[in-house]
Amino acid sequence: MSANIHDRALQLIARAPVEGLPEADSAWLRAHLEECDFCSDHARHTDRALRLLRTAAIPFPDGLASRTQFRVRLRAQELREHEPRGRLLWFACAASWIFGIASAPYVWRLFAWFGEVTGMPKLVWEIGFALWWTIPALFAAAVLLLENARQTEEPDWLKQDG
Amino acid sequence: MSNEAKTIARGLQRRDPDLLDRLIEQYQFRLYRYLLYVTGNKERAEDFFQETWIRVLERGHQYDGKSKFEAWLFAIARHLVIDWQRSRKPQSLDTLTDPEQDHPLQLANEKQPSPLHQVLSQESEENVQTSLQKIPAIYREVLVLRFQEELQIEEMAGVLSVPISTVKSRLYRGLEALRGELQRGAAT
Repeated sequence: MSANIHDRALQLIARAPVEGLPEADSAWLRAHLEECDFCSDHARHTDRALRLLRTAAIPFPDGLASRTQFRVRLRAQELREHEPRGRLLWFACAASWIFGIASAPYVWRLFAWFGEVTGMPKLVWEIGFALWWTIPALFAAAVLLLENARQTEEPDWLKQDG
Repeated sequence: MSNEAKTIARGLQRRDPDLLDRLIEQYQFRLYRYLLYVTGNKERAEDFFQETWIRVLERGHQYDGKSKFEAWLFAIARHLVIDWQRSRKPQSLDTLTDPEQDHPLQLANEKQPSPLHQVLSQESEENVQTSLQKIPAIYREVLVLRFQEELQIEEMAGVLSVPISTVKSRLYRGLEALRGELQRGAAT
């Protein structure tokens, strides 16, 4: 019997449990295993490995599920408590931007007048106007970043060893 | 999309605590077993078990119900393990998941009796547990997903974020490694 035939048999033995075999290959393999002790042994060991793998028992730790359920409920409550705050923040930002856009022409004139009265260079009061306009956005971004940083803070189990 | 997956997706959108309680009970054994095989450590598996469900709560809105819930669950658990491992060893994700590397996803110290082995030995009648802990975790993982969790190859590719051909090759190698270890175990 040529080595190629054994190679083919071993490949089919490996393929069978992973992706299944077409009927023709399966029939060929069955016939080959009946007359080849080496490949038959290989197939038996593979079957045994799979059987043992499927039946391996693992004890589940006592109380792990209930501890997890408790933690999840706590976290859910925490998230629910933060939701109104988040909505309020977005509302405040939106109101601030709308007001900012609506009042921009008047504020622009106010800054221009102030620049004229104080003799400030035009560039300075223009920068002042831009800052005034972006302050709500910067404030909101800072709040959101702080909030995210707090939420994604490394959990204790991550710090335990290292 | 199955009705069950739809219901889960809707419940997760709402962060329904009753649904989460039910899911934790339903998937407790499977998730813990997967984490135990991947981390090779009982305490670590317990930590990741809890952290996975917290993540499910926080990211539940990302589950669209188009795939099996368990595939999404295992993917979350796996990413947590990889993130944790990355934070310990500053390597790339590819290095950690490449089966050709020396110790991919191998968290346990091989020179000491593995905690995985200790846990598994308690109920072991055969030497499959000993053999399993000798093969790289990257292979243990695919063997567990395929032959214990009975995920389809395509679902596994989603969980592992690798091509289907990679899943297959890991399965062949993993099965071959397990068979070899079992044979060596039987011979000694």
